[in-house]
Amino acid sequence: MFDYLEKHLPKLMLAPTAIVTLVCMYGFIGWTAALSFTKSRMLPQWDFVGWQQYERLFANPRWHVALDNLLVFTVLFIVIALFLGLMLAILLDRNIRNDGALRTIYLYPMAVSFIVTGTAWKWILNPGLGIEKMVRDLGFTDFEFRWLVDPDMAIYTIVIAAVWQSSGFVMAMFLSGLRGVDDSLIKAAQIDGASTFRTYWHVILPVMRPVFFGAVVILSHIAIKSFDLVQSLTGGGPGYASDLPATFMYTHAFSRAQMGLGAASAMVMLAGVMAIIVPYLYSELRGKKS
Amino acid sequence: MGSIQIQQLTKSFGDTQVLKGIDLDIKDGEFLILVGPSGCGKSTLMNSIAGLEEVTSGDILIDGDNITDLSPKERDIAMVFQSYALYPTMSVSRNISFGLEMRKVPKTEIEKTVGGVAQLLQIEHLLDRKPSQLSGGQRQRVAMGRALARNPRVFLFDEPLSNLDAKLRVEMRTEIKKLHKRLGTTIVYVTHDQVEAMTLADRIAVMKDGQVQQFGTPYEIYNNPANRFVADFMGSPPMNFIECVVLDDKLVIESQGEKFELQVPYGDQLKKAGLDTVILGIRPEMITEPKPYVEGALVHTIPMQIEVTEPMGPDTIAFGQWNSTEIQARLSPEAGVDAQDSGKMLVQVDTSKAVLFDAFSGARLGG
Amino acid sequence: MSSLTLSKKLYKAFFITLLLVFALAYLGPLYVMLTTSFKGIEEIRNGNILALPDALNGSAWVKAWSSACTGGDCFGLAPYFWNSMRIVIPALLISTAVGALNGYVLSQWRFKGSNFLFGALLFGCFIPFQVILLPMAKLLAWLGLANTVTGLVLVHVIYGIAFTTLFFRNYYVGIPNELVRAARLDGAGFFAIFRHVFLPLSTPIIVVSVIWQFTQIWNDFLFGVVYSGPGTQPITVALNNLVNTTMGGKEYNVDMAAAVIAALPTLVVYIVAGKYFVRGLTAGAVKG
Repeated sequence: MFDYLEKHLPKLMLAPTAIVTLVCMYGFIGWTAALSFTKSRMLPQWDFVGWQQYERLFANPRWHVALDNLLVFTVLFIVIALFLGLMLAILLDRNIRNDGALRTIYLYPMAVSFIVTGTAWKWILNPGLGIEKMVRDLGFTDFEFRWLVDPDMAIYTIVIAAVWQSSGFVMAMFLSGLRGVDDSLIKAAQIDGASTFRTYWHVILPVMRPVFFGAVVILSHIAIKSFDLVQSLTGGGPGYASDLPATFMYTHAFSRAQMGLGAASAMVMLAGVMAIIVPYLYSELRGKKS
Repeated sequence: MGSIQIQQLTKSFGDTQVLKGIDLDIKDGEFLILVGPSGCGKSTLMNSIAGLEEVTSGDILIDGDNITDLSPKERDIAMVFQSYALYPTMSVSRNISFGLEMRKVPKTEIEKTVGGVAQLLQIEHLLDRKPSQLSGGQRQRVAMGRALARNPRVFLFDEPLSNLDAKLRVEMRTEIKKLHKRLGTTIVYVTHDQVEAMTLADRIAVMKDGQVQQFGTPYEIYNNPANRFVADFMGSPPMNFIECVVLDDKLVIESQGEKFELQVPYGDQLKKAGLDTVILGIRPEMITEPKPYVEGALVHTIPMQIEVTEPMGPDTIAFGQWNSTEIQARLSPEAGVDAQDSGKMLVQVDTSKAVLFDAFSGARLGG
Repeated sequence: MSSLTLSKKLYKAFFITLLLVFALAYLGPLYVMLTTSFKGIEEIRNGNILALPDALNGSAWVKAWSSACTGGDCFGLAPYFWNSMRIVIPALLISTAVGALNGYVLSQWRFKGSNFLFGALLFGCFIPFQVILLPMAKLLAWLGLANTVTGLVLVHVIYGIAFTTLFFRNYYVGIPNELVRAARLDGAGFFAIFRHVFLPLSTPIIVVSVIWQFTQIWNDFLFGVVYSGPGTQPITVALNNLVNTTMGGKEYNVDMAAAVIAALPTLVVYIVAGKYFVRGLTAGAVKG
């Protein structure tokens, strides 16, 4: 009996995690999926109505605003963060031997919560007293900078704050990637007469492709899940001009008693994440095996 | 006491059978070596004895007690690992005492044992260090000390010398042999190095594809191999294998366009078996420069074209060709120089220890 | 030759200047938060955001900590700060402990199906939590833990395990299995091997896991806003309420002091143990 226990102890130790994973991840996803096919509003009801909630969802202009915003936000956020992160990493790698202090400065926003970030940028971008006033004080009295309250521009304030928070992280990833590049590779390129720019473009960056993919996956993952930043910076406003799917889901599921609709939007978000993550994990795991 | 009986042991991983019915009877105090190429199942067999892997069927007995289903700690076995597997955060002395501590041996006794083992292995000055501060040879000693401290019925050694450089390996080899002589505890030792096997073992089990090919003393294995695989695996430089046409009770060797007849042991059996060709197995040291004091029906003289010579110091290996097969001969250094200069020589072939194998199956003929 | 080195030097100077400009840009928001928090409200209205405060006026800090209104009540951030502590500490300890044991099994005691389980768990690092929000609320209500600190601890433990397990599994997978074998022959069991052999090796990865969980849970807003009730809200939720409470005139100095208070614990952790923070961030992302 004791032997039996000892032999199966490893399995026993994993059992709680296995059960919790099964129930609280996969079971819950199933539950939400089921809910998205019902008429549930305040409380779950189990009368199935097929794809009706999804039809409602995609007929909802607010959802389309959220999707458009997500597209704009994700593309800009990823492109700018990658560019800044890569640039900082290369400049740091080339020019400064002891980069501890600078690296610390670029990365500290990542340690702060999106709510704090949102609060700070909300103040900096404040139409009356923030950057606008500062520039006007400098003498440009006609200067206007009121993106925060402009329905067409509000989403870009979220891009600014998100880039500020996450580009340091991209820098850290690229920097550790650059430091991992085999020195002899760089020497070989230099002996072959390649300029610094060409060395980076043709030799080093291709080696860092996995880091690149990793960064894109993580950034797009941050983008799709973005909720806190919108809540604290614009509250989804003005109106619902800066809504994202995450805030849409929250509003409908918890404030507006549209549980079925919220569940459907959550499932669409899951599908979006899976479309990015599954191929990535697949290639990652396959690559490790071979 | 520590005799081991292994009976009809099999082990499968999924569909692949790694051990295919192993039978071994290891005497108390014996130094047994499991040798074979990688993937032959020797490590799996050792792990099965240790209890680190469950067997699929069959039994393992120590001193007559069936221990097949016991956990490793109940088997009273200690093991030295290839990577040494020293606990990185513990000092040398705690590495040695950990097994005793786990077995709730009283503190004073632990201290005495650690002291004794350290003295035996000459590692007293290292006791307070961490494994990372030791050289390869020192780690090897500590790993042995950890096994010794437990004073088990059986020691298992899993390729313990393969991470050492060549010189240290030879030194430690001798030391292990001395230690065994002194302690008299049963040792099962896995290696892929046939020199280690020959030099250390009381008996050797040569393994291939999950089966024991031959189980015997180093002398038996070397001089009387059970099949072509064993003959090929044991010995360096390796045995020469020459496919020969059978002529009555003799074999035909062709060298430089001429044919020579070779008388071999068990020639009469060849005749009875009615085979057209056989594989002649003859070790390089039986092909030498002519030595006048060696005589008899089994001693022949045959010319040989010398392609290359490799001086080893005490002797020289010469490469030639018979029957379109590369042949290695073992010459004295002086004969080696002559052979190199002239490019050909007459060699003396002594077939008294030659062995014959079936040309197709590699099975031993006669003997 | 000398002109070449001169142009190289100029390039270098330019690049370093660029790096410093960026450093100032990244520091900007923190600078603005700090200076604003020490200004009086009149000074804010008349001056500009980059100006240093006339005097170090700590009243906004006192108000943010102890009397600012956060939605319904006006006790400042203090009670919520302690709420967050009461959520974070048990949640990070439990999830790190569970993650360590999981990682130990998944790397050293593999069995049929354990790799599959790891894959299934890994996927959990990536799901958008929106998809589990509704059923989790049901489960918490059913357990009687809705709107409680315990409930939030539970939620953070459940969804933190995927990460902590990943950390420990990837760390332990680099430790040769022969250590486990040696210890088993030495007579040590599952837990003894963990305690005597693995735990003493684990300090760096424990630090990584603790810091990761601390920042993740302290900074969480989604679970906090959905699963907390009046009186059990974590500091992020309280900060958001404080900033968006529209009673009377806006007090930007109090907002900024509150934001700094909410950011302070994770900033301190980051400054003290930044190396481990970065390791946690990049753990899953960079191969090897």
